[in-house]
Amino acid sequence: MLRRTTAALACSVTALALLATACGGEADQGALPAPGKTGEVTFWSFVKGSDKVAAAFNRSHPDIKVTFETVPSGQEYYSKLTNAVKAGTAPDVAVVEYPHLPEFAAQGKIEDLSGSLGPVVKERFPEAARQLVNLGDRTWAVPRDAAPLMMMYRKDFFTRHKIDVPTTWDAYRNMTEQVKKADPAARGGVLYTDNPGLLSALSWQAGGQWFSAGKDSWKVTVDDAPSKKVAAYWGDLARKDLVRPLSQLDPFWTSVQKGRTVAYVCASWCAGAHQATVPDQKGKWAVASVPTWDGKPASAMYGGSSFVIPKGADNSGAAAEFIKWITTDPEGMKAWVSSGTSSMFPADPKLVPVTKAAFATDYFGGQDIYSLMSRSYDAIRPGWTWGPVMGATNTAIVDQLPKVADGTVTLPGVLSTAEQATVAQMKQRGLTVTAP
Amino acid sequence: MLLSKAGVTAMLGLATLYTLLPLTWLLLSSTKSREDLFGTNGFALGGETHLAANLSHLFAADGGVYVRWLINTVLYAGVGALLASVFGVAAGYAFDKLTFPGKERLFSLVLLGVMVPGTAMAIPLYLLAAKAGLVNTFWGVFIPGLVFPFGVYLARVFSASYVPDEVLEAARMDGASEFRTFCRIAFPMIAPGFVTIFLFQFTQIWNSFFLPLVMLSDQDLYPVNLGLYVWYSSALTQGHPEDYLLAVVGSLVAVAPLIAVFLMLQRFWKSGMTAGAVK
Repeated sequence: MLRRTTAALACSVTALALLATACGGEADQGALPAPGKTGEVTFWSFVKGSDKVAAAFNRSHPDIKVTFETVPSGQEYYSKLTNAVKAGTAPDVAVVEYPHLPEFAAQGKIEDLSGSLGPVVKERFPEAARQLVNLGDRTWAVPRDAAPLMMMYRKDFFTRHKIDVPTTWDAYRNMTEQVKKADPAARGGVLYTDNPGLLSALSWQAGGQWFSAGKDSWKVTVDDAPSKKVAAYWGDLARKDLVRPLSQLDPFWTSVQKGRTVAYVCASWCAGAHQATVPDQKGKWAVASVPTWDGKPASAMYGGSSFVIPKGADNSGAAAEFIKWITTDPEGMKAWVSSGTSSMFPADPKLVPVTKAAFATDYFGGQDIYSLMSRSYDAIRPGWTWGPVMGATNTAIVDQLPKVADGTVTLPGVLSTAEQATVAQMKQRGLTVTAP
Repeated sequence: MLLSKAGVTAMLGLATLYTLLPLTWLLLSSTKSREDLFGTNGFALGGETHLAANLSHLFAADGGVYVRWLINTVLYAGVGALLASVFGVAAGYAFDKLTFPGKERLFSLVLLGVMVPGTAMAIPLYLLAAKAGLVNTFWGVFIPGLVFPFGVYLARVFSASYVPDEVLEAARMDGASEFRTFCRIAFPMIAPGFVTIFLFQFTQIWNSFFLPLVMLSDQDLYPVNLGLYVWYSSALTQGHPEDYLLAVVGSLVAVAPLIAVFLMLQRFWKSGMTAGAVK
């Protein structure tokens, strides 16, 4: 036990060296005799449909029994998972959203899946998804869904007031002005005050690169030029009251329900969430490609989840089997979307027909939203990596976001603050930061 | 007079609003349909009253798991606080009336326990429970609730002010054993203090969130606040907004017992508070 603790400690100090070599080797499944693919698997998730997918797996795999346990989502979940690994009571399979993956990998809290599921990831997923689960030449998770950006807008409002659907960010600004002019209570966008995810996605889309991992060091450039451009743009829209600063929880949905938000940038999964939350606006909404800076297709991900095997899992063999089924098997994908209300976009392009068939788009007037998502998925910019202390980065941003609209802070300034907080936290964890 | 009567009244009015406004919102929102929840003012009634439908939905959701959560909470907070208060009063009484070696040193340990906030103890307790095999069991949350150092401290104060030494002297003269003296003579005299300690610990366990969060993964063992948080945290981000309304209605049902307990026991609570204050 003591030795394991010491090893774990060593891992957390040597960030990337670990990603490349150190602790990864310890858990390398490929080197060990293949573990049995039977027995019990515990499975933690907060993703919609997790109960259904576990039940469907159990029906088709009599040798493995998956026990699903619901966990809350958000930062609390990640501290729960971290502590469970520390205490040796971790589940065999757990959901981890992409932004949190490098943190778990760098701290040695999850198994290296290169030997077991690495080939599957390589074969089934495009670069846009692979870049999020492969770190330091190793595979740490299997992607389930991608979350390519899209734009939602009130078609009826746009038609009534003769507003064009914007395809560039310049046009988007005009659109927000037109919307406000047409209806002083309505806005053509939102700046979330409690969620940094969209800001990072839009920076990614603009060609920003907040983090890059070197051999055994990190570069942190949260306020690089493209990200600053994005931040200045949205900060300006918010200060001019062209987009509304809102919490992404009920204040946002209240504004949609009351017709005060008539367009917003979101991702593939939002279509399902939207129609479930405001069912009575059926037929009024449509989906469009996300605007870009130069008019050429460019996209990024806002959300999305992957599955990992935490360190200390009792049954990695069966766990890998389960993960493979729920991420790449058509039957598994069917189980995820069996409720018919999820517009999740599978990271494995071969499975798109499965989810497309399950999601009726009559809410959106029968629009073919999945081809739109596919185009967005193809346009995702390569080269994005999440950072090793995303919890700290996100907290630093969220703390400042509510002050942007009233001009107390500027949005590019928020990014600089977040960068400093991130670097400080990384140094505290013993990670090497070469830039800035 | 620094503050005029009007000033004081205004301050109290503000405090009342601060306390009652969230409850009003909760009460009104619980009666709304989902469209009205987002579509109408939080402090106005919705278009139609949905309270009955919401309640039946709440008790039927996920196979009636909400009732389980309520029962769990009553066990964790009710039974846990009851036992914690019994232990606390017994220990406090012993510290006050009995002499034993290392007494004051032990008491400083108790005071040390008062200083450490419960949340800071959650992770160490979790690691200990993992070694003892209590993670994800009822006992993992129940047993930590039995320890209440502040209750021991309070009980010592109560014992000193409520139980005159002469009474114990008389009991001993009549041949009562120490245990019998405590149970039959001292305990009834400390009863108001007992209720105070019980209420303190009851609210503490009822509100404790981080410990059950890390300790429990089986939904059937959740206390009600953790269950509501699971509904609330993923409802809007994961696209099942019906859970959001469940969390709202569930919160209303969950605060009702707390209000009832406080209304029933508040005269004990008040007398207990003042007794502690003069010492």
